[in-house]
Amino acid sequence: MEDESLLLCSFYGLPVPKFGVAQSSSEAAEIAKKIGFPVVLKVISPDILHKSDVGGVVLDVRSPEEAQEHFRAIMRSVKLRSPQARVRGVLVQEMLPKGLEVIVGATRDPSFGPVVMFGIGGVFVEVLKDVSFRVAPLTTVDAEEMIKDVKGYKLFTGYRGEGPRDEIAVIDILLKFSKMITELEDVSEADLNPVIVYEEGQGAKVADARFLLR
Amino acid sequence: MGLSGELYRLFYPRSIAVVGASRDPNKIGHILLRNIVSGGFKGKVYPVNPSTDTILGLEAFPSVSSINSEIDVVIVAVPAEKTIEVAEDAGKAGAEFLVVISSGFREVGRIDLEKKLVEVARKHGMRVLGPNIFGYLYAPSGLNATFGPREIKPGRIAFITQSGALGIALMGYSTVEEIGVSSVVSVGNKADIDDADLLEFFGDDPNTSTIILYIEGVEDGKKFLDIASTVSVRKPIIAIKAGRTDVGAKAAASHTGSLSGGPALWEGVLKQAGILQVKDVETAFDYARLFETYSVAAGPSILVITNGGGAGVQATDTLAENGVLLSEPPEEYVNYLRTFLPPYASTRNPVDITGGAPDEHYYLALRKALEIPGIHAVLVLYCQTMTTSPLKTGEAIVRAVEESGSNKPIVAGFIGGSEARKAIDYLIQRHIPAYPTPERAAQALAALYRYARLREAVRRRLDLLRLSGEIHSKIPGELRREILKK
Repeated sequence: MEDESLLLCSFYGLPVPKFGVAQSSSEAAEIAKKIGFPVVLKVISPDILHKSDVGGVVLDVRSPEEAQEHFRAIMRSVKLRSPQARVRGVLVQEMLPKGLEVIVGATRDPSFGPVVMFGIGGVFVEVLKDVSFRVAPLTTVDAEEMIKDVKGYKLFTGYRGEGPRDEIAVIDILLKFSKMITELEDVSEADLNPVIVYEEGQGAKVADARFLLR
Repeated sequence: MGLSGELYRLFYPRSIAVVGASRDPNKIGHILLRNIVSGGFKGKVYPVNPSTDTILGLEAFPSVSSINSEIDVVIVAVPAEKTIEVAEDAGKAGAEFLVVISSGFREVGRIDLEKKLVEVARKHGMRVLGPNIFGYLYAPSGLNATFGPREIKPGRIAFITQSGALGIALMGYSTVEEIGVSSVVSVGNKADIDDADLLEFFGDDPNTSTIILYIEGVEDGKKFLDIASTVSVRKPIIAIKAGRTDVGAKAAASHTGSLSGGPALWEGVLKQAGILQVKDVETAFDYARLFETYSVAAGPSILVITNGGGAGVQATDTLAENGVLLSEPPEEYVNYLRTFLPPYASTRNPVDITGGAPDEHYYLALRKALEIPGIHAVLVLYCQTMTTSPLKTGEAIVRAVEESGSNKPIVAGFIGGSEARKAIDYLIQRHIPAYPTPERAAQALAALYRYARLREAVRRRLDLLRLSGEIHSKIPGELRREILKK
């Protein structure tokens, strides 16, 4: 589940957005206040794959009142459109500012064992398959090089008047993620998708994470 | 003694038995024996064939154990089902290595038979090369135990190939291209001895300075990565990886899963291992030719000398694509060029000494470039013209190099007809890597820098891994768990 994935990431020191799980509308408002506005609300259910299709996601929630209201709306909508789904609550999450979206992933290769992947989000990964791989555990050298290996690397160095991206933050994420996948033998595949990368010195955040267990 | 020590007798055998040796000159068992006998191998050779007394003038034996003498290597060229029996017999006779030429194992689904073969070999303490191979060759021992070409040019390149037919063809190609070979090893199904074992041997082998790999896949990826990394910091490894375009789009639940397993993973692995990946056979040989003479450049400043602007531009682009950028030549050099070049010649980099440049101008331009410390390597390009001679230009290059006594890398690109080709051969014979196009010459020279970068990264990587291993082992288990929890 998303909240568990984010918690797991934070155990390994990966930067994740502030979040909490609400069981009631008042709890949603409380958590949102603690996080600070705006926030995102997402239904947590093992049975719902595409949350927005059932009205399970609300972005840009700006006040405690809105949080309460949208919590109730999500519950109603999910009950209506997916009545059989088990609902574990609603994830209240810091809404991250926009930045360069990258993907960090891992899988287990039959001959090389755990391998880590890096790619730049959107068309670069989906259409151009512009990704680089290294065998875990990664060293700083590997992490540096796999970022530079992708053809879209230019987006990192500054593009259309934007400053260069925080490469060091991504290196840090790659190294921690490599440690994580090396240690957690039950995980067969994992995606941090997207990781949002800000300008130099501003860091990067894992916006969403998925783990597949063996 | 490491694994390389373990493979020592495979490459330096005192005696070889050839099981399945035949009197029929068309049989593989005959060609193998003939190649061993005629290749200058100094050890003892015993044909094994129960139905004949002599083959190629040698006494034949009914079995390996009936030879009654110590046998280091047993070459097996009998049908697959009979190999188990041969392995048992060879094991009893105390052989160290089985080189199994026979096919009909894993490649046709007979995994059971292959496992059985390795099992029997292990039981007797033997190592297995193959099965499903065309054999192996090691020039320093005068040993050609292949059914490939009889003659090869001895040299310092070891070639490890997973493909049989391509391997045999490349033995022939290397001779035509005058590439000197220390060894050719066909690894086939890699039931026991694999690429990593051989990399370790050739890494320590003083007769080998460059290793070429043709690789389709490996069973033990970690072992491959670990061993290749320790070898590539000592000598260049060039790899042709089969299946570069295989997208390997397996159905998987995650992005990473669907994108892995294909060429992108191998690209990363080869970089991590410090291996120079090349797209094709031609580039592998071009690189090998370069590494025959040079393996390092003292610095990044390459000077390009050309008599044609187009060739200069092509070379500049190729260098840039390989991460090598040209800088302006030192002022001292420019001033010197101005003393003899026509005023319309370009003294920037590439230096265009103009289409009519006589060989003397090549000599002067190169000679001076070799003397100036700020120039670290030179790419000499020559386009054949009606008024100049390729061979004379080649001679001018050799004269400049020999007189200067410089060891700066010099690579030549001679573009033209048969005379240009002759000049290339002339240069190669005098240990100056030369190529028929500006792009190939530039790409080869760039390989020197590519290798330097890879090697540096691998060194740093190995240092970091060693360091983290030391830190890890110094922290007791309990404390480590606590740190992890935090």
